[in-house]
Amino acid sequence: MPGVRAALIALATCSTAPALAAEVARADPAYLPELLASAKEKSLAEARAWLRLGHWRKRLLGGWESEADGPGLFLSPQGKRDPAAELEATLTGFFAAGDGAPSGDSKLADPSLEHPQCRFPARFAFLAGALQIDPARLPPRSCPRFEAFWRRVSARSATLIFSSYYLNSPASAFGHTFLRLGKDEVASSGERLDLIDQAVDFAAIANTPNAVLYAFEGLFGFFRGEFSARPYFYKVREYADYESRDLWEYDLSLDQRQLGMLVAHLWELGQTWFDYYYVTENCSYQILGALEAADPKLDLLSHVGVATLPSDSVKALFANPGLVRGVRYRPSARTQLAARTAGLSGGDLDAVQQLAEGDDSAGLGAMPTDERVRVVDAALDLVDVRHGRDIVTGSDPRADRLRQHLLETRSAIGVPSPPLNIPPPAAGGPERGHGSLRLGLGGGASREEGALFLAEGRMALHDLADPPAGFSPRTQLEFFKVRLSAADRPGAVRLEEASLVEVTSLNPIDRFEQRVSWKMRVGATRVADAGCDRCVAGFLAVGGGPGMVSADGTFSAALTADAELLGAPDLHGLSGSPVRPGIGPGLLLRLLAGDRGALVGTGTWRWLPSASPETTYELGLEARLHLGPVSLAARGRAAPRAHDLGLLLLMYRD
Amino acid sequence: MRRARWVLIAFILSAGVAHADAENPAAHGKATYGLAGCGLGSLVFGDQKGAIQILAATSNTTFGTQTFGITTGTSNCVDTAAGSAGAKIFIEGNREALAKDAARGSGETITTLTAMAGCKDAKAVGTALQKHFTQLFPQQTPAEQVSQNVLKELRSDSSLECRKIG
Repeated sequence: MPGVRAALIALATCSTAPALAAEVARADPAYLPELLASAKEKSLAEARAWLRLGHWRKRLLGGWESEADGPGLFLSPQGKRDPAAELEATLTGFFAAGDGAPSGDSKLADPSLEHPQCRFPARFAFLAGALQIDPARLPPRSCPRFEAFWRRVSARSATLIFSSYYLNSPASAFGHTFLRLGKDEVASSGERLDLIDQAVDFAAIANTPNAVLYAFEGLFGFFRGEFSARPYFYKVREYADYESRDLWEYDLSLDQRQLGMLVAHLWELGQTWFDYYYVTENCSYQILGALEAADPKLDLLSHVGVATLPSDSVKALFANPGLVRGVRYRPSARTQLAARTAGLSGGDLDAVQQLAEGDDSAGLGAMPTDERVRVVDAALDLVDVRHGRDIVTGSDPRADRLRQHLLETRSAIGVPSPPLNIPPPAAGGPERGHGSLRLGLGGGASREEGALFLAEGRMALHDLADPPAGFSPRTQLEFFKVRLSAADRPGAVRLEEASLVEVTSLNPIDRFEQRVSWKMRVGATRVADAGCDRCVAGFLAVGGGPGMVSADGTFSAALTADAELLGAPDLHGLSGSPVRPGIGPGLLLRLLAGDRGALVGTGTWRWLPSASPETTYELGLEARLHLGPVSLAARGRAAPRAHDLGLLLLMYRD
Repeated sequence: MRRARWVLIAFILSAGVAHADAENPAAHGKATYGLAGCGLGSLVFGDQKGAIQILAATSNTTFGTQTFGITTGTSNCVDTAAGSAGAKIFIEGNREALAKDAARGSGETITTLTAMAGCKDAKAVGTALQKHFTQLFPQQTPAEQVSQNVLKELRSDSSLECRKIG
């Protein structure tokens, strides 16, 4: 079935499909030297399109190196570092004799046994166009396995999907991105049938159940990252249903030629692996790389920084004008639950809660039909939010019975539920978020030090007082934050704070969900009490407790029980040791003024057993005014040996 | 000394997690594929627990079987073309969501199933699945049994005019 390849070549060459009666014809060996000479003459090995198809990047010390780490993307042994050698090997390979496709239709056959034309359909299409390959002298082969993939995908559109933060796991505030290749099928009633599209994902293949090794291997590229393809519904069920992550869908304006190249190139990428670096060469990076290969005009990777945040990869799409032709939003299970309960009365909410706890005394019988539908529908969603994952994995028979009972109750009502229409959240998608890098400069005054010059920087991502658009209103996640101060005397530049990670997760305690709010911080801080003479101490703090977030997010608060550990050579810690544990309460309050401003107050008190001093405290207040790309911050702090005020200008960059 | 302490901490942390995952077949590369057809539980989640589960959500890692490899995957659970085979995969992969939509008599999975099976009208399909819910979705039924039940129902009710699942 040469139709697919003919279409692809036609798309690549912008000509009509060549007559492919030559299916059985043999390649003309005399044609190869002509093509090699022509490729050399045109410097095709340095063409942007070719370099992108091999994922070659300039090396620091000159030359090229492909980011692909598996051997499957190269025909030449030097292919990883030599685009020209790979081009020659590719053209030579296209002339190879033999059937190509492995015998039988085993889907698990080794792809490297296939004919090079079938392994590299995007290269074939590119070279056929660039060299005006004559199909009579180099007949395209039939490639049953690639063609099966092509049919399975039947791509008529491409969409980049951003899966947003995972509640209660602020680290996933980074999100995840993957591609959806759309069949663009529409039901007779007009609804889109996205679920049967294919999702293409790049993910690390974990090989250890050990959390420490896992984190280490993920950070330093020990996992292999691979492309995979599955029906989109698996992704919707996994992310939107069972992890309660809202999905943002960015429809891309690729034409049929670019779509064809994308599908063909994904097939090529499916044969190799990339070392997976959690921070840099991650899912978002490789997805953008695949898009760039499909359309060499796109500039995507140049718009992301050293660390490729999924949200930055969405912004990179928008940096190419016209590339995003539509944005859609798919609400998560939790968002659907909120929408279903939004209009219910107090009595109805009580009934929802009772039903979701297996209590049938909710008085359903007395309700009018439409009210009964709303209550049971909400209870079903609540059960799924609470137990969804257990139900899918079958690990909780009690939850199974509860859900089954509710389903049967609901089906017995015998009327269909009206569609649930949920508008996208006002905070918007990640493309509206502020840049994750933040730099600040300013001045201040301290009772102890006098006038101060202040400077600070943060690599990523978001704190509770940053501009709220495009971020979760409940999550702080910061990596690599440094604060410096300089007093007006020689040698007085000092490190005030160096944080590796700081996380806060605010979770409202409401009638349906009782999850604790929590925080965690690891780094170093300057001691602000009599424990030492303003030394810098290593610092680890955790805390958890009840929190609340008002319905519109304007006001939030958390009261936590905290534990912390400080360590520094000069510190008068536990029984005179340099290690100082402390416990005590923490308070966090936040008031948001729309997108324009934020006020965050914090307070901690610590009991420091067998240390000197035996207690300490710190109070902080910070006000921010957001003025487009910059913000003004005013902050004050009071601690036993630090009383200071500061005013800073904060700048955000991607 | 300092190093020894770090090794000790790492050991303690990892021991705790390793224990939690001892009975996790997916984490040890033993795929449970085949037991539950194209069900979500085995294909998507494995049974990752605790810290690994959170890390996996964070760093976008999978404990993948090769089921979904682009060039190496099996075709069993990935093809969603209209017809019986595609509809079966769809029903099994969406078992829980479809049960909920069936109980409600409407929803995205019903609209999609209607199109895949070539039925005339999603409303009629929704009504039929809702009406026969307890027979079609009995408790603790393997996904494969549910897909058989649902396809049989769609085939046997001639008023639904499901033309693509013969």
